[in-house]
Amino acid sequence: MNSLLILFGNLFSKASRFLNLGSGSTWPGHIALFLNSNFIKELLNKNKLKVILIAGTNGKTTTSKLIRAILEKNNKKVFQNTAGANLLNGIASSLISNADFNGKIKKDFAIFEIDENTLPLILEEINNPDYIIILNLFRDQLDRYGEINTIAEKWSNALKKISRETTLILNADDPQVVNLQKSFSKVFYFGIDSQKERSTGTQHASDSTYCPNCNTKLTYNFVNFSHLGDWFCKKCGYKHPQKTFTSFSFYPLVGVYNKYNTNAAVLTAKILGFKDTQITDSLKKFTPAFGRQETLKIKGRKVQIFLAKNPTGFNETLKTIFNLNAKNLLLLLNDRIPDGRDVSWIWDTDLENFSTQFQNITVSGDRTFDMGLRLKYANFKKFETEENFTQALQKALAKTRENEVLYIMATYSAMLDIRKILTGKKMI
Amino acid sequence: MKKYNLTIGWLYPELMSTYGDRGNIITLQKRCEWRRITTEIIEFDLGFKEEDLKKCDFLFMGGAQDKQQQIAAKDLMKKRNGLKRAIEDNIPGLYICGAYQFLGKYYKEADGKIIPCLNILDFYTENPGINKPRLIGNVIVEINSTRIVGFENHGGRTYLGKNIKPLARVMKGFGNNGIDKTEGVIYKNSFGSYLHGPILPKNPKFADLLIKLALEKKYESPIDLSPIDDTLENQARFSIAKRLGIKL
Repeated sequence: MNSLLILFGNLFSKASRFLNLGSGSTWPGHIALFLNSNFIKELLNKNKLKVILIAGTNGKTTTSKLIRAILEKNNKKVFQNTAGANLLNGIASSLISNADFNGKIKKDFAIFEIDENTLPLILEEINNPDYIIILNLFRDQLDRYGEINTIAEKWSNALKKISRETTLILNADDPQVVNLQKSFSKVFYFGIDSQKERSTGTQHASDSTYCPNCNTKLTYNFVNFSHLGDWFCKKCGYKHPQKTFTSFSFYPLVGVYNKYNTNAAVLTAKILGFKDTQITDSLKKFTPAFGRQETLKIKGRKVQIFLAKNPTGFNETLKTIFNLNAKNLLLLLNDRIPDGRDVSWIWDTDLENFSTQFQNITVSGDRTFDMGLRLKYANFKKFETEENFTQALQKALAKTRENEVLYIMATYSAMLDIRKILTGKKMI
Repeated sequence: MKKYNLTIGWLYPELMSTYGDRGNIITLQKRCEWRRITTEIIEFDLGFKEEDLKKCDFLFMGGAQDKQQQIAAKDLMKKRNGLKRAIEDNIPGLYICGAYQFLGKYYKEADGKIIPCLNILDFYTENPGINKPRLIGNVIVEINSTRIVGFENHGGRTYLGKNIKPLARVMKGFGNNGIDKTEGVIYKNSFGSYLHGPILPKNPKFADLLIKLALEKKYESPIDLSPIDDTLENQARFSIAKRLGIKL
């Protein structure tokens, strides 16, 4: 049965690529799961590869790519679910495209990025993953994922049912993530040290500043951003885990949030037995995932794309490009399903702290005027609104001087669209 | 010109502000500032003093996650009389989503458990159970002839009692319960609504109405607000209305 599904799936993918139908990537998995709901379980049980699951609101793609880079530079064979295909069918599809007719997968590692809503479903299918990395929990697309307490509860229940042999790698600085683990023996924590970067005021969109144990307001020795930091509860004594991996000798990406991603990846590599020098050497050659600080060149100007899809990610990205002395900014706000249909979240960002930083701001996307309005009410004086993507990009580029960088901050679908324009798939 | 000042009380800014509702405070502040009306914001956090509510010319409270809401509700229950006095005394206020629900008699959870609310206004809210969808999406409602644009995302369905009026009529979207075409509640100068978006930035007329009510109540005389260039506000409104096929 599974052999046929694999054969059929691969034929289907080839055909859809050949016919240029696009979006062929998750259909084989969809059909395989429809015909055999145990498909994922059976294929994984048949193979001896190590499975790494990565969950969290922000940083999944970057962390996956960091781990993959370390593994591959050290001669391990790795496969992942493809970009954006982080639901069950995407995972089944990635198994199909990496399996031979007998269902054998000649790889050492599978890295799966998992969507917030999908983690409980995946853990029913894969109830003995070797590693689970949980990065953080922030408010994100409330219309799609719901509130973070609800997600945390679902995750916690799902984790109760899986094998105790699984190794958990958790963000110690996120109280709600720490609280997910109650009865695992193999648990490792990462975090980061107190950051002494330029302070940009307090943040509004903090999500988990109440004790997950007794609901008392948590006390922080320091906060790195949002609700991430060195926390403890004065009332019940619940506190940040002591033994935490917090710093490494080399960081390939800018931004405090990427320190977290890097520490998560490095800690995983260390647990897998890699030496610091092996890790550093691989990270030095690291290139970012698409749309995550990816740099492209167009018309002699450098363009750097940052995915910014929720208040915390948005604030941290602003802070990062602020520290890079950014002058030119293109803000793209879409409200399609992958972006979240509710754009209210832009009012939870701390744009006020950056009102005098940029010389050239252009705003575009489905919700051009909502973002424009946000800027107006955050005291920004000079900015331009342009609904048409291509024209907005042209305007922003025209105002960017040579040797300067145009920074683009975009929600998910906007990031994909602007990338298509920039990489020439849609001609400018 | 007379110097005006407004004191705005923001109830539980940290706990009750999950859906961008802070934008309402920002909007009130800015639209006052642009007219040289000074504002002072009092943030009421857990354990605030009930009598401090009396210092406010306007009250605002937003929506939150269930857990945060429970923490805030427990605290606010103790100050119920102070809030009721303000509402009965015509102090203008805007109460969004969870805050709105909390002004009613009770909230019936998905499992049937009844959570008593402040019982200040005559309505109740029920969650129809986990198998019924949340009411989510862009929404346009009409208050008299003014059309209001927003985004709703709520599991609870609110049903108004006989002694109370809805804030608006639903033109597109769900409103209070998805059935009777009502949205929100209006009682004296208090407004309850499910609309996020947030509601005020894209609906400057409504924002100005609230400012005017607060000033007139405080200074006990009719006040005309100077106009503001609302081009961008209107562009934002129109782009959603156009998409939903509603004329504004």
